[in-house]
Amino acid sequence: MKDIIRFQDISKIYGSGNTEVRALSHVNLTVQEGEYCSIMGPSGSGKSTAMNIIGCLDRPTSGRYELDGTDVAQLSDADLAIIRNRKIGFVFQQFHLLAQLSALENVMLPMVYASLPQRERQERAAEALTKVGLGNRMNNRPNQLSGGQQQRVAIARAIVNQPVLLLADEPTGALDSHTTQEVMSIFAELNATGITVVMVTHEPEVARLTQRVVWFRDGEVMHDHMAPEDLGQLTVVT
Amino acid sequence: MVDFAESTKMAVKTLAANRLRSALTMLGIIIGNASVITMVGVGEGAREYAAGQFESLGPNVLFIIPGSPASQNRTLERPRALTFEDSEAIATQVPTVDSVAPQLVTQQTVVAGNLNTNSTITGVTPEFTTVRSFEVDAGRFITDEDVERGTRVVVLGPDLADSLFPSESPIGQTLRIRNVSFEVIGVLEAKGAFLGDNQDDIAYTPLTTLSSQITGNTSPYGLEISFISVMARDEQSMTAAQFQIQNLLRLRHRIVDEDSFTVRNQKDALELIGNVTGALTVMLAAIAGISLLVGGIGIMNIMLVSVRERTQEIGLRKAIGASEQDILTQFMIEATILAALGGAVGTLAGSGGIMLVSALTPLAAGVSTTAVIVAVCVSGGIGLFFGVVPARQAAKLDPIVALRSA
Ligand SMILES: Nc1ncnc2c1ncn2[C@@H]1O[C@H](COP(=O)(O)OP(=O)(O)OP(=O)(O)O)[C@@H](O)[C@H]1O
Ligand SMILES: [Mg+2]
Repeated sequence: MKDIIRFQDISKIYGSGNTEVRALSHVNLTVQEGEYCSIMGPSGSGKSTAMNIIGCLDRPTSGRYELDGTDVAQLSDADLAIIRNRKIGFVFQQFHLLAQLSALENVMLPMVYASLPQRERQERAAEALTKVGLGNRMNNRPNQLSGGQQQRVAIARAIVNQPVLLLADEPTGALDSHTTQEVMSIFAELNATGITVVMVTHEPEVARLTQRVVWFRDGEVMHDHMAPEDLGQLTVVT
Repeated sequence: MVDFAESTKMAVKTLAANRLRSALTMLGIIIGNASVITMVGVGEGAREYAAGQFESLGPNVLFIIPGSPASQNRTLERPRALTFEDSEAIATQVPTVDSVAPQLVTQQTVVAGNLNTNSTITGVTPEFTTVRSFEVDAGRFITDEDVERGTRVVVLGPDLADSLFPSESPIGQTLRIRNVSFEVIGVLEAKGAFLGDNQDDIAYTPLTTLSSQITGNTSPYGLEISFISVMARDEQSMTAAQFQIQNLLRLRHRIVDEDSFTVRNQKDALELIGNVTGALTVMLAAIAGISLLVGGIGIMNIMLVSVRERTQEIGLRKAIGASEQDILTQFMIEATILAALGGAVGTLAGSGGIMLVSALTPLAAGVSTTAVIVAVCVSGGIGLFFGVVPARQAAKLDPIVALRSA
């Protein structure tokens, strides 16, 4: 199995001098193709910082990051934009759908930046929406959809360019337990088709549905490859 | 990289989704453009109006008036008068001249029956109608015989004829000027106003009759007249005619230093008016241009606010693969569309303003195509220029910060 994510001694430092914050400290982490992985840890432990670096939204202060075999440090900002477009799908806690666009148009957006022809965009967006169970809501605006439905639109948008890696920072943070289950089953289905999934979560019940849990604390990886049944004891720490 | 058509589509979508804001943003540019178009149109209209007025004086006409060009501003001293003899000398001795019309002008009370009016009486020779392009509507004009014999006949402008003889034909009627009775022999066709002066309420008599019977002011040099209108052979000979007339009159008046007369070319007058209205147009256009600039700053303002409001959208777009260039292009296009559309709407409004002006005033103001093209292009340019700052701000946004700003 090839490595999708390889962190070698990654550090991220915000600010300098007295106000210096070490958000990540010498992190080593490898995620292989096809893994379904969750990142947990207390607030401020560096989970989002790690996700931003993984997703090429940010660059590490030091260390080497290889994404799908490419050393990201060598790439220009414009190249990173292309990587985000082609290789990575993002899902956020607050959905981040554009209010003036329909569900279909929101899902078409990544393909606009991939310069695909209009017809292909429409077909693939419709396909992705059907995959997340929203084939009958394509022309609704975000404010005409429930929270769970909006997050499913966001997932459709994340997978429409057929990325190798799906990143989700607290994707169920704004959802109730029922819709959380819905969204998690979609992630599981996507993972089953071969997409590598990495998500940040605070909920042990959510983490339990994944195959591997990485535990962050104070910018370091404290535990890796935790068995989901060990989570019971650790949640006390959060 | 997203292609141009795609960016435009996105920009249009965003602008259409915020219609009220887009309209308000354009307002400054709309007003700026409307004023540019109206101002330039009105300025042009004024120039054309003035040009038309001078052309109505008759083609290729020169005016000779008493007094030196320098003394035209000093009103106290009375310059040596021009005489009927001067005008005859010009007619016979200047080869580039077609016809010469001496004119003697006075203001008198005219009485017809129980009606009376104070009006301008002009003493003329038969050449007057040729030189000044007047037509006779009824009866006949003054003849050489009338001038030679000093007959007491009068030709009326149509307005004067109407006010003195409202209910009957004036031809053959008698009227009195300063207790001298005249027979009405003709009525002229309507000519309209010249620079606001009605040319149709004037009475014309033979020059000799007016001089001997009414004004009586002959100078030691001959029969005094007010001024001389000269028609040159053609447009090309205007300058030559002016020069020859000057030489002839200098000789006749024995002038060594300052001229006692001025030869005015209607082209000079036209040029002067052109200069004045041109300067006026430039000034108005400058004021309007400043309002365009203010409109551009307005666009920049609202766009900056909009970038701030759409921080999350920008962050999201970047996260899903928009490059800095893509974001920059999108915002630049938004600004340019706002400005160019504002320019187009402003042009329409300006054209409306011009139609209003030409409906309400004698100025035949027209929409100048140059002004329209310049205004719309300048607006678009202003959009581009003032779009740069907000667009760069949007493009430089850190997507992480932008996405967290919820
Ligand atoms: N832009 C920034 N500037 C300065 N400090 C930052 C910045 N972003 C994050 N930090 C700091 O880095 C540390 C890690 O933050 P991060 O957002 O990665 O935590 P997290 O694990 O995602 O927390 P949470 O569970 O609350 O989302 C925190 O101490 C945070 O204050
Ligand atoms: Mg976080």
